[in-house]
Amino acid sequence: MAWKRWSPFRRPLGPDPAGDVEDELSFHVEMRVRDLIKQGESPERARQLALQRFGDYETSRTECVEIDERRTRQMARSEWFAELRQDLSYAVRTLRRTPGFTAVAVASLALGIGATSAIFSVVHGVLLEALPYPAAERLYEVRTVYPDGTEYPLSAPDFMSIREGNRAFERVEAFSTGTFTLLGDPEPKEVRGASVSDGLFEMLGLGMAVGRGFRPEEHQPGQGAVSVLGHDFWRREFGGDPAVIGRTLTVGGDPYTVIGVLAPGAELPQAADMFTAITYDSAFSASNEAARRGEFLQVFGRARPATDATTLNSDMRRVGTTLQASFPRTNERLTFSATSLRDIIVGDVRTPLLMLLGAVIFVLLVACANVANLLMARASARQDELAVRAALGAGRGRLVRQLLTEAVVLSIVGAVVGLFVAYWGTRALVAAQPADIPRLDEIGVNGTVVLFTFAVAIITGLAFGVLPAMGSTGTALMGAIREGGRGGSGAGGHRVRSGLVVAEMALAVVLLTGSGLLIRSFIELTRVNPGFQPERAVSFRMTMQGDRYQNGAAIRGQVAAVLDRMRALPGVTATAATTLLPLSGRGALVDFAVGNEPPPPGVNAEIGFASITPDYFKAVGTPLIRGRTFTAADDTGAPLVVVINRAGAQQWFPGRDPIGQRAVASGAEREIVGVVADVLQRNPGAAPLAQMYAPLAQRTSRSARIIVRTAGDPLALAGSIRAEVHALDPNLPVAELNPLGQLLTKSMARPRFYTSLLSLFAGVALALAGIGIFGVLSYSVAQRAREIGIRMALGAGAGGVVRMIVSRAMILASIGLGIGIALAIGLGRVLRSQLFGVSVFDPATLGGVVLVLIASAALASWLPARRAAAVDPASVLREH
Amino acid sequence: MAQSTPEILRGTFDLLILKALSWGPMHGYAVAQWIERATGDALDVGEGTLYPALHRLEERGWITASWGPSENNRRAKFYTLTQTGRAQLRVETANWRRYAAAMFAALDAPAAR
Repeated sequence: MAWKRWSPFRRPLGPDPAGDVEDELSFHVEMRVRDLIKQGESPERARQLALQRFGDYETSRTECVEIDERRTRQMARSEWFAELRQDLSYAVRTLRRTPGFTAVAVASLALGIGATSAIFSVVHGVLLEALPYPAAERLYEVRTVYPDGTEYPLSAPDFMSIREGNRAFERVEAFSTGTFTLLGDPEPKEVRGASVSDGLFEMLGLGMAVGRGFRPEEHQPGQGAVSVLGHDFWRREFGGDPAVIGRTLTVGGDPYTVIGVLAPGAELPQAADMFTAITYDSAFSASNEAARRGEFLQVFGRARPATDATTLNSDMRRVGTTLQASFPRTNERLTFSATSLRDIIVGDVRTPLLMLLGAVIFVLLVACANVANLLMARASARQDELAVRAALGAGRGRLVRQLLTEAVVLSIVGAVVGLFVAYWGTRALVAAQPADIPRLDEIGVNGTVVLFTFAVAIITGLAFGVLPAMGSTGTALMGAIREGGRGGSGAGGHRVRSGLVVAEMALAVVLLTGSGLLIRSFIELTRVNPGFQPERAVSFRMTMQGDRYQNGAAIRGQVAAVLDRMRALPGVTATAATTLLPLSGRGALVDFAVGNEPPPPGVNAEIGFASITPDYFKAVGTPLIRGRTFTAADDTGAPLVVVINRAGAQQWFPGRDPIGQRAVASGAEREIVGVVADVLQRNPGAAPLAQMYAPLAQRTSRSARIIVRTAGDPLALAGSIRAEVHALDPNLPVAELNPLGQLLTKSMARPRFYTSLLSLFAGVALALAGIGIFGVLSYSVAQRAREIGIRMALGAGAGGVVRMIVSRAMILASIGLGIGIALAIGLGRVLRSQLFGVSVFDPATLGGVVLVLIASAALASWLPARRAAAVDPASVLREH
Repeated sequence: MAQSTPEILRGTFDLLILKALSWGPMHGYAVAQWIERATGDALDVGEGTLYPALHRLEERGWITASWGPSENNRRAKFYTLTQTGRAQLRVETANWRRYAAAMFAALDAPAAR
C-alpha cells in the first residue's frame, strides 16, 4: 500500500482502521481549533465552536470505521488470492523448468492416486452405494434356519405364517425362481423365470416401462396365465417392441399372455427374464401342514422404520417358536432369521475389497513418501533460490506456503492424470468381470469418485509437501548463503530422507508379504485335487418341459436317446447325465440315517443328493474307491441303490465298510453299493461335505446336465451336439454348453483376481521404493563426491567405494524389512480369511520377501555405486 | 447540520470533494476549507459528514489516501484523486452543468400556453 513509503507514519502492527479514523477526525477538530484561536477565540470557546461545526462526531466516526474495516477485509482477501495466483504461477513455472523431476513425481502420484481411486470406485459402487430399491437399508431376507445352522428358503405356508405373524416388518414379499423353456423361432430358449408375490414389485419400487403389473385377482388360482417381461430380456428377444403386450408366449409348456415390461434397470435381487404371478392356492395357507417342508420361496421383508437387525431376528425366532408348537411334525427345531439384503449381496466380498483398498492406500503412501523424497532432494538443490527469496523479504511462512503450493499443484496434476488411470483401471476391472463380484457393472468413475480423488490429492499434496517445506525453510535456510551456495541440506535432511526410504521399504514389504501369501494360497488351491478331470470334456443343460415330457419315463427316454447320440459322435469316450456338476453345490439336501441307528452325535444328518446315469463317474473322471458304480440294471424297478462320497463314508461309517449298508435317505431305504472320491462342491478352499448319488432311473429330474468326454478338443463337437439334440426335439434348448474346465476356472476367479491385484500393487510399491532408494543414494553420492574423491586419493579402491554405497542401501533395506515384516504379521489377521493352506507366518513367503527386497535394494544401489566408483579424485579435488 | 441539508445537495457533495482534490492531494480539513471558501459557506453541511463521504470515495477507488506530515508536521491523512476519480469528476461535472442549465431554463420559462 502507498502509505508504506512513509515509514514513520506506518502502523507497525498492521492495519488499525479505528485508530486511523480517530486520528483523522481529531486532526480535523484540532486544526479547526487552532484556526479559531488564530482568529482570536479563547481556547475553550474555540473547542466548543469546532465541535459544533463538526456536527455528529460519533456517527461520522463509526461510519468511517465501518467503511474502512470492510475495505481492509476485502483487500486482505484479494491480496490472499493475488498471492495464491502468484504462488501458483511460480509453482507451474518451477515445475516446468524441471520436466524430468515433474514427470517422475506426477507419474508416481498418478499411479498412487489413480489406483486408489479405481479401487475406491469399486468399493463405492459395490459396498457403499445404496441398493437400487426404496428404503433399501431396511430390506432383509428371511430364511429358514435348521438346527445345524444351515439356512434355506421358505416354504409357502411358512412364508404366509411370517407374513401374518410378524411384528417387525412393514411388509413381507416373496418370489421363487426357475428355469423354463420358451418356445420360439428359430430355436427354443431357456429363460430365467420368477414367480412374484402380490406386493413384491411395489416393495422393491420396480416400475413398468410398458403395460402394467399383476392385478390382485391374477394371483388367484386359475387366473395367473399372464407374464411380465424383464427389460433387458424384452430388448434382447423382442427388440424392445411394445407390440409384445398381448402376445402369448409358451413357457414351460404353458401359455402366458404378456401384460407388461419392467422399467429399465428394474431387477429383483436375483436377475430374471420373465415374471409370473404367484398363485395363492391352498399351499399358500398359514395353516397348511403338508406343504411346510417344500422350501422354494425367497422371502424379503421391509422392516418397520427404526427397527434393527436384533429386533427383527428375535421377532423371527418368536414366529419360529410359535410354528414349532403348532406344527411339531414339520417345524420341529426350525426357526427363521433375517439378514440385511446388503450383507447377502456383498457379504463375502467386503473383506477382500477393503483389504485391496487398504493395500492401494499403502501404494499411495509409498508414492507420497517417494515424492516427498524427491521434493526434499530438490529443495536442498534450491537452497540458493530460497535463501535469496528470504533475503529479499519473504517470510518463512510465505516460503512454506510457496513450497506447499508446489506440492499441491503436483498432486493435483497427478490426480488429473490419476483420474485417467482410474477410468481405464475401473474399465479394465469391470471388463475382467472378476468372478461375479456383485454389482460390479454399476461401478465407474462418478462424481463421488472424482471428489474423493481430489480430496486425496490435496491431502497427499499437503502430506508429502510439509516435510520438505518445513525442512528446507528452517535453519538450513540461514546456512545456505553462508555455505557459499553449495546447498547442503545437512545431516538432518538426510536422516529424514533415509527415514522416508525406510518407510517406503516397510510399506512395500507389507504389500509383498500380503501378495506373497495370496500367491502361495492360490498355488495351494490349484494343488487341491478337484476329484474330477476337467480337461477334454464339455457339459450342457437340458430342461425337459411341456407336453412331450409329461412323465418320468418320457424324460428318461429322452436322456437315454440323447446319450446314445452323444456316444455315437466321433471321438467321444464317455457320456453321462447328472443333475449336479462339480463345483456347483451339493444338489438337494436330504436327511440321511443309517438303518435304525440314531445319527452319530454332533453329526449333521444331511447329505447332498444328486442323480446320475451309470457312466457318470467315468465321464466326469471321478475315481471309484470301493464297491461299484451303477449299471443299466439299477433301473426303475430294481432295488434302490446309492453311491456316497468319501466324506459321507467317513461321516457315517468311520472305520467301517459302508458297502452293503442300508440307509434311509429322502424318505426311502437305499443300499450303499459304492464309495467315490470327493469332488469339489463349492470352491477349492472348502472342505468336502457328504454327498450321495442315485441312479437317474430311480430318481428322475426335468433338468439334466449332459457330460461329453472326448479324445480330442471337446468344443469342436459343440455344433454336432446341438444338431443331435435338435434332431431329437427341436423344442429342447441346449443351454450352458461349456468346457468342464470352466467350472474350475470360475471357482478360482475371485482368488485369482484378488491375488493379481494385490501383486500388482506390491509390484508398484516395490518399484517406487526402489526408485526411492536409488534417489537417496544418488543424491548422497553427489553430495559426498568430494569425500569419496579424497578416500580414493588416499588409496580406497573402487570396490571399497561400491561396498560403502551398497551397504548403505542394505542398511536402509534391512531396517525397512524389519519394520515391514513386523507390520505384515500384525496385519496378517486381515488376510487370514483369504488364505488357504498357508499360515501368516509362512517362512517361504517371508524368505521370498526378504530376497526380493534385498535384491531390489541392491539393484537400486547399483547405478549410484557405479557412479561413486567412477569419481575421479583429481578432478574432484581440483574443483574445491 | 446534515439534517438541514437539502437532499439534492448530498449527491453534489461527492462532486465538490472530487473538485477540491482536482487541485492536488489534501487532507480532510483542507477539503472542508476549500468547499467552505468555494461555496461562500452557502452549503451548511456538517463538517463531520465530509469524512464518511471521503472514505466511501476511497472505497470506490476514485481517491486514494496516504498518511503524511501536515503543514504543522502532524500525522495527517492525505487524499489524492485517482485516474478513475478524475474521469468521474468530468462526467459528474458535465451532468451537473446539463442539469443546472435545464433547471435554470425551466425556472425562467414563460407561463404555460
